[in-house]
Amino acid sequence: MSETAINSTTEPTVASFSLERGLQAWREEIDAPTAAFFSSCVHCGLCAQACPFFVETGDPKYTPIHKLEPLRRLWEREFTLWGKLKTRLGFSQPIDDALLEEWEPLLYDSCSMCGRCSMVCPVGNDIQYMIRKTREGMVASGHAPEGLIAASVRAVNTGSPMGLQWKTLDVQIKHVETASGLTVPIDQAGADYLVLLSSMEIINFPEYLEAIAKIFDHAEVSWTLSQECFEATNAGVQIGSKDIAAVLVQRVVDAAVKLGVKNVISPECGHAYTGIRWEGPNVIGRAYPFKVFHIIEVLDQLRADGRLRTEGMETDRLSMHDPCNLARKSGVIEQQRHLMKLVAENFIDMKEHGKYQWCCGAGGGVSSNERAEELKMAAFRRKKAQIEEIRPDRLVTMCATCRTQLEEGLEEYTMDIPVVGLTEMIAEHLVEGEPS
Amino acid sequence: MHDRPTLGETLERQGVSRRGFLKFCVTTASLLALPPTAATAIAEALGQARRPSVIWLSFQECTGCTESLTRSFAPTLENLILETISLDYHHTLQAAAGEAAERAREEAMHANEGQYLVVVDGSLPGPGANPGYSTIAGISNLQMLEETLAGAAAVVAVGSCAAFGGLPMADPNPTGAVPVSKVVRDKPVINVSGCPPLPMVITGVLAHYLTFGRLPELDEYGRPLAFFGQSIHDRCYRRPFYDKGLFAETFDDEGAKKGWCLYRLGCKGPMAYNACATMKWNGGTSWPIESGHPCLGCSEPDFWDAGGFYRALSVPTGDIATTAAVGGLLGAAAGGAAVVKTRRAKADAISAHRPITAEELEQQL
Ligand code: SF4
Ligand code: SF4
Ligand code: SF4
Ligand code: SF4
Repeated sequence: MSETAINSTTEPTVASFSLERGLQAWREEIDAPTAAFFSSCVHCGLCAQACPFFVETGDPKYTPIHKLEPLRRLWEREFTLWGKLKTRLGFSQPIDDALLEEWEPLLYDSCSMCGRCSMVCPVGNDIQYMIRKTREGMVASGHAPEGLIAASVRAVNTGSPMGLQWKTLDVQIKHVETASGLTVPIDQAGADYLVLLSSMEIINFPEYLEAIAKIFDHAEVSWTLSQECFEATNAGVQIGSKDIAAVLVQRVVDAAVKLGVKNVISPECGHAYTGIRWEGPNVIGRAYPFKVFHIIEVLDQLRADGRLRTEGMETDRLSMHDPCNLARKSGVIEQQRHLMKLVAENFIDMKEHGKYQWCCGAGGGVSSNERAEELKMAAFRRKKAQIEEIRPDRLVTMCATCRTQLEEGLEEYTMDIPVVGLTEMIAEHLVEGEPS
Repeated sequence: MHDRPTLGETLERQGVSRRGFLKFCVTTASLLALPPTAATAIAEALGQARRPSVIWLSFQECTGCTESLTRSFAPTLENLILETISLDYHHTLQAAAGEAAERAREEAMHANEGQYLVVVDGSLPGPGANPGYSTIAGISNLQMLEETLAGAAAVVAVGSCAAFGGLPMADPNPTGAVPVSKVVRDKPVINVSGCPPLPMVITGVLAHYLTFGRLPELDEYGRPLAFFGQSIHDRCYRRPFYDKGLFAETFDDEGAKKGWCLYRLGCKGPMAYNACATMKWNGGTSWPIESGHPCLGCSEPDFWDAGGFYRALSVPTGDIATTAAVGGLLGAAAGGAAVVKTRRAKADAISAHRPITAEELEQQL
């Protein structure tokens, strides 16, 4: 590599990302589905109506399919006969740094990769899948937002996008152990479940770890944390770099293999879950020797097996926010409702829920991208309208990012509705001192 | 009508064996996406059911829907159902004519007050239109529908005309045609669209109603989800070609012969919801796409006006005629070379991939 740099006039270190490298990344990404998707768009605009960023701003530039314009141009120019001809005749529009700069906020700030657009497209275009692909070229051309770059660097270097190290978690573990009188198992080879966390949970919602400790003790589940890998969120997936994503996924695989666990539990973080469960094997190029579940799936299985014994009911009017990654993108919809039924007698679903729910606005890296703050709050207005329609006393959810966004959003719009994590709520109702 | 034999009795009299009947019930259960255990429930309920009264009204239509129902292969559920329901009034099929026919309708309505099903094929001139465009026995379609519906349990709009207006409503809609749902207010309407609909879909809906006493779950267009829940595209056996980007460009080119995707020939499969791809036509013989013709999307609202039947939903580079002409000019060889070149571009890009590292990213901060 360094030999080629001799001919280069710019500093090799500074030149590492370039427009050409971005275009190369897109050439790698363009495949038959991409071509089919671009050829089939009928410009009906339905995707716009499905996207919270468009619906709440009314700005046509936030039309989902439009967000893919740079990739579409490259595809047309280099992969279609007509496009090649147009290029030769000088009719094609340029793809340059100015274009990418203009599109950077469209690809990162105004898309939470919630997949609602993909669901409604009448010709089956998977737009959020293409957003993911387009981000590959954005990173490689040096057009990724600073917040996500920093998160990716920290994720690789310290093991967590927020820069947390084991010692921070260790403090939390000590707290949990004192509060609950239980031991949190660490590096237990052969445990049934390796539990992963997200930084958001460690910092904002430490009660989550305590809830897991209690529930697993109650249901006699053998589990463990790993000192070598405790974090499952994947900043590589969010920034759109399969290379970074692969490093982070491999870390989980190594830890799980070393401990010889059969199952890995993704934290209450939607993107962590789709990242480790669906995208992971693809980015590392092989199947896992273990299974991956979201904690909610595990809890519902325990419930079905009669291993969760609860008492008492929440009487408040409760509603639920389905995380996009869990409900729409992974089909975990009934599980959380079964669990709700166990402990809540006054549960009401929002009008659009399950796979049709509206995104909270913070996923897909939007929350790690400070520049996107205003848009993130704008997108939240859709959720807010849904909440206002049914006026619940409290909201329940099962993704730390959604929960943070709901709390911030409700505060911003001065709505006094507390948000609770589902796992914690289940833990509070366990029949005490009586393992099943 | 209390002396009516039950369906079970009628079938027995017609020499349909218990086994044949059960087979029919199993098929119906699977068509309706019910668990296999439901077959017994269906058999039970159908066997006990008195011949339910059905009044079939035909308005502005071409009789294709009735043809679809009656031309299906015997012995099929269509026939079983047709012979076992009490089709008390059917413009096309009944022997009675004139006043006798209208009397039959009125009798059926009175005898089965609140219980009978009304099936409609064809659209009708709407409330604002000249009623003279379509009348039967001197009665306007609208009036007949309103009268007949008064004592009905539900109405089944069979065919795209009844469900969505169909051909009569196509631009410029000279008769002011409207679909059934536009004029029915207080009765459940189920739309069984298709031009014509699959016979098994028509009978499946009737069987469901007879068995469970209620209509099946519907989609946003009022169509039974069990049959209209998936797009043609999702179930099309040519889909792998679509996903690989292999399209027939004309009806007789190499691609067409190899069975490639018909998208560019105007296939509306991606936006058409119907059961053709799984149930097929003519007793499971074939279906349009299998016989080499793109899907017209006949089960969708306004399919007559949704652009040309042979115009692709959208094409990669604007106008398909131009593309084809340019392609022709450049010659097949150039086209082939272009494909090879683009494949190479992708392969080159992959082999030239320089993994992105955290160090590189860090330099940007
Ligand atoms: S919904 Fe699908 S077909 Fe319609 S404009 Fe969006 S991408 Fe194109
Ligand atoms: S994935 Fe969600 S946020 Fe992104 S464009 Fe589609 S609807 Fe909008
Ligand atoms: S839906 Fe089609 S087949 Fe049925 S009556 Fe109308 S035009 Fe004829
Ligand atoms: S033939 Fe039509 S339905 Fe089948 S794959 Fe092609 S576009 Fe889809």
